[in-house]
Amino acid sequence: MRHALALPALLVAAIACAERGSSNAPSGGTLIVTIGADADHLLPPLITGLVGRQVADLMYYRLAELTPPIRTAGDEGFEPRLASRWRWAADSLSIAFDLDPRAQWHDGTPVRAKDVVFTYSLYTDPVVGAPGSVNFANVDSITAPDSMTVAVWFQRRKAEQFFEVVHNLVPVPAHVFGPVQRDQLRASGAVREPIGNGPYRLVRWERASRIELAADTAHWRGRPRLDRVIWTPAPDPVTTVTRLFAGEADFYESLRPENLAQAESDSALRVVPYPSLQYGFLQFNLRDPGDSSRPHRLLADRELRRAISMAVDRDRLVRSIYDTLAFVAIGPVSRAVAMDTTMTHLPHDPERARRTLDSLGWRVSGGDGIRQRDGVPLAFGVIVPTSSRPRINAAVILQEQLRQVGVRLDIEQMEFTTFLERQRARRFESYLGVWVTTPTPSGVRQPWSTAGQSNFGAYASPVFDALVDSAVYARSPVAARTYWRRAYQTIIDDAPAIWLYEPRMVAAHHRRLRITEFRADAWWAGIPEWSIPPDERIARDRIPLAVRHE
Amino acid sequence: MLVAAWLAVVGVFAGVCTLLARPGLIPSPNASPWRTILDRITRDRLALVGLAFLVTLYFAAAIAPWIAPYEYRVQLDIVELKHQAPTLAHPFGTDQYSRDVLSRVLHGARVSLSVALLSVLLAISIGTAYGGIAGFAGGRLDGIMMRLIDALLALPRILILIAVLALWGGVSLPALVILLGLTGWFGVSRLVRAQVLATRGQDFVVAARALGASPLRLFLRHVLPQAMSPVIVAATLGVGNVIMLEAGLSYLGIGVPQPRPSWGNIIQDGAEYISTQWWVTLFPGLAIVLTVMAFNVVGDALRDAMDPRQVDGR
Amino acid sequence: MVGLVLRRVGQAALIVFLVTTLTFVLLRVAPGDPFTATVEHPLIAEETREQWRAAAGLDRPIAEQYIRYLANVARGDFGPSFSKGRPVSEELASAVPNTLLLMLAALVASFVLGVALGVFQAVRRGSIADRAIGGVALFFYSMPDFWLALMVLLLFAYRLGLFPVGGMLNPWSYEYYDIWGRIANRLHHLALPAGTLTLLSAAAIARYQRSAVLDVARQDYVRTARAKGVSERRVVTRHILRNALLPVITLLGLAFPALLGGAVFVEKVFAWPGMGRLAVEAIGTRDYHLVTATVIIAGVMVSIGSLLADLLYAAVDPRLRET
Repeated sequence: MRHALALPALLVAAIACAERGSSNAPSGGTLIVTIGADADHLLPPLITGLVGRQVADLMYYRLAELTPPIRTAGDEGFEPRLASRWRWAADSLSIAFDLDPRAQWHDGTPVRAKDVVFTYSLYTDPVVGAPGSVNFANVDSITAPDSMTVAVWFQRRKAEQFFEVVHNLVPVPAHVFGPVQRDQLRASGAVREPIGNGPYRLVRWERASRIELAADTAHWRGRPRLDRVIWTPAPDPVTTVTRLFAGEADFYESLRPENLAQAESDSALRVVPYPSLQYGFLQFNLRDPGDSSRPHRLLADRELRRAISMAVDRDRLVRSIYDTLAFVAIGPVSRAVAMDTTMTHLPHDPERARRTLDSLGWRVSGGDGIRQRDGVPLAFGVIVPTSSRPRINAAVILQEQLRQVGVRLDIEQMEFTTFLERQRARRFESYLGVWVTTPTPSGVRQPWSTAGQSNFGAYASPVFDALVDSAVYARSPVAARTYWRRAYQTIIDDAPAIWLYEPRMVAAHHRRLRITEFRADAWWAGIPEWSIPPDERIARDRIPLAVRHE
Repeated sequence: MLVAAWLAVVGVFAGVCTLLARPGLIPSPNASPWRTILDRITRDRLALVGLAFLVTLYFAAAIAPWIAPYEYRVQLDIVELKHQAPTLAHPFGTDQYSRDVLSRVLHGARVSLSVALLSVLLAISIGTAYGGIAGFAGGRLDGIMMRLIDALLALPRILILIAVLALWGGVSLPALVILLGLTGWFGVSRLVRAQVLATRGQDFVVAARALGASPLRLFLRHVLPQAMSPVIVAATLGVGNVIMLEAGLSYLGIGVPQPRPSWGNIIQDGAEYISTQWWVTLFPGLAIVLTVMAFNVVGDALRDAMDPRQVDGR
Repeated sequence: MVGLVLRRVGQAALIVFLVTTLTFVLLRVAPGDPFTATVEHPLIAEETREQWRAAAGLDRPIAEQYIRYLANVARGDFGPSFSKGRPVSEELASAVPNTLLLMLAALVASFVLGVALGVFQAVRRGSIADRAIGGVALFFYSMPDFWLALMVLLLFAYRLGLFPVGGMLNPWSYEYYDIWGRIANRLHHLALPAGTLTLLSAAAIARYQRSAVLDVARQDYVRTARAKGVSERRVVTRHILRNALLPVITLLGLAFPALLGGAVFVEKVFAWPGMGRLAVEAIGTRDYHLVTATVIIAGVMVSIGSLLADLLYAAVDPRLRET
């Protein structure tokens, strides 16, 4: 496998072209990214984690790529990659992509339409279990009229139909993965050292230690500036950030409040804020954790949920956990993708919360200050994964704030897998979650609509579902915006969750690095254009691409 | 639950004291050794310091709600007063929830000590019964029972605990105590079994047997008193050990649940901020070290005092 | 001697078998399985998971799975790791040597240090030096391993900046060093975790060695030697030390489980990619085969430790050679 990887660089040196060459920055240099986790996979259809996506996005091209600022409706937000151009059918129900004839895999095989068709079959084969398969619900089929043309056929017209396919389908080589048995795919050797077609190729992947990419110097769209990009996963947040301060790493994607001041005062570092697509929340289970056909004894009650929400001081909670590095969440959506942010929220009003609870029959009687009704204490549990510090912090602060109004919150910390298992089996009364949205407003369906696969709390509102549907298929942006606003307001008023924080991301990088504007959903998208001026290079930048003590 | 635990702890402590002080209380073939042991211990100054420390700690833990400057779960001001370095107002500083670390360490003493003592109590009960049965049964059953002990001892105890706690997720305090107890008796059972084997051949036991005494009676009247001293030593040292184990589990986030403080979960609260907010980690750690040291000193002194080979006046 | 070895190996095999069985049952009884965990994603359909379970044979009765697993292990096949997407044996091959390196470094260092200090203390019994060392040993002996690791990390890595904060080697540059650079880089990373483990177990060994020497010093043959006018130096070196090393050898067997347990925390704090971390991760992802395999390896390591101790003991103590 490794021999195969080394060859193509020599074979195709002739076709270096000008597309990337437009940035005149000299090539060379090493970028070391310190990160909190290892990749789960590097083969795009199998990837669930963020790190895997970062690496794979440099190794693989899509048919076309989003450019900042993100526009997910129509195709104006995209520029060509594997496809040099595309044509819409008159009824918008199919798009034909013309592949760039120069495109080739890192082993020298040209990229052809059959690769795309094969990849689509991988994504949609249940045995493969590609997490992205849901994105293709609107795709009828993908065909190859000839070896250089890919045709995508849709079921319905939709503003984001282009985005859904082009952004989520990352072609992989049919000649490498085609022969592998589908149910053996995840365990096969080919998956561990996948062959791509992007500006960087994989040099090595040592589990829990590093993922090293090297520039494809003979790439058909021009070589990337930096010679190598290395991800070094660290087991915990402290080690992760310390590597940056110790000069062992050049880039860290998300500084935390306690490190921000240090990073700002460090003359070797530059700090870059960027938008995020995440929000954190406490979701109530509206159904009985033991028997999901029955409503939850407490939390099915909308008034009670609203009272609990009003007891929470989200503003102070967010400032305590994140300092200035997060906003109070605006609802089930992040600011970067929200079509409207003018919803009204439940106020922080402990007095009103107490009055409501009183009126619902929950009264303080015992010495512990916890409300009771018919001898039953007003208490419910929350599950939290031990791996997430912000969520544990939020749980402990919520616990204390709820105690102030006589509600007992029992925290159950558990290791991440147990957490996911309990979440999926709906064996919880509430959980602290973080949702990373796709860069499109319709992403709100998955965690909050009645049929959404990640709607673990079983919030079911026909009104909300209908409004979201109307918004997604709305013909005009103005109409869409109105529908979105009404949908958000509906769910906020129903209080199936307390939306807590929306982190503001701040990255830090070594000052010798010249970076490009971050794309909101992927800071790494511009790495092929990043560079390091020759006079600022340090030892690791001068390591030549080929020489290595083996 | 905590109150009951507390009563049990104080009860056990008082029991051990009376046991040592009043030799007539337990039926021993020879009552005077207990007196000698007490004499020896009182002459060991280091052990006395350790004992005094433990008594003080127990007392402080018992009245923690009254002497702690703040309630352990009160978050004073989550924005302005978090991560305060040690000052006069907060001698041990505050944690990331603006809770007073000194108050939490004091309250943590209650949890850490009761968990440790109760689980050791459980462990020595099981171990004594198991070792007694194996010793008296002898033969094949004894062999099987001891091989099982070998297997259980072959795995580091902490790994067993991590496995069970991580597999089943968060557990309650009583469950934690039981789990610590269930994994702590292997060594004790060996000690007791050895004692049974040693005692079984002695003349007075053979005689009692010939007179038709039941094994249970033999065990309670003759074996147990003899086995007491190594078991007490093992228990004393075991308490220190369990305090450290509980701390380790809580540090991994699978021990004592929030907001109740134990020394281990205070350290967990601080571990991620250790490079800048060292005080949250340092003080509960020191509390553990001092307490375990005291238990070890007392345990060592007990062992020396109970060692029949020991010549007085060393 | 051969009989002893055979008997002990037999016992060790039995222990490993029992431990394997316990682990196997424990894992199957616990909530969750590898396919709720490793590839957990809300978007993967339950039917897909069922297909994977069937492909991995997890839909079979437990007894059948167990027998099949034992048969595979007997042939040296530990099966695939569900979470890592490669054979368990490969995972072990990359993690076990790291842990062994850490443990052996700590074992050697702590025995040298511990025995030397213990003997020194016993010889100077009652002196200020004895008490000082005894106090320090007690201090470290009473310290939770993870806390010492955290404090060492805080002081030497964060505050003084003398050592790297974690890992086994410098991830970006190691490949480009020459052989000496590589060794230096590894030692630099090994120092703190091995040092932490060493402090912990040297403290225990010193305490043990001191009382062992004192015990022997009270024996009749030592008194006899002294009475015969043998020089004090000779009494210490020839009569006391040789015999006082015996109990310490037993400690060697006990040190293995203790070090292995300590390694779990030390590996976590210092980001050391070893078995302890692998085991905890594997438990987290319900990676059945990987958990069971680490437990088997741990059992084998502990058994080898105690077997070695027994053999050494037999070799040193002539009284045991007959049996």
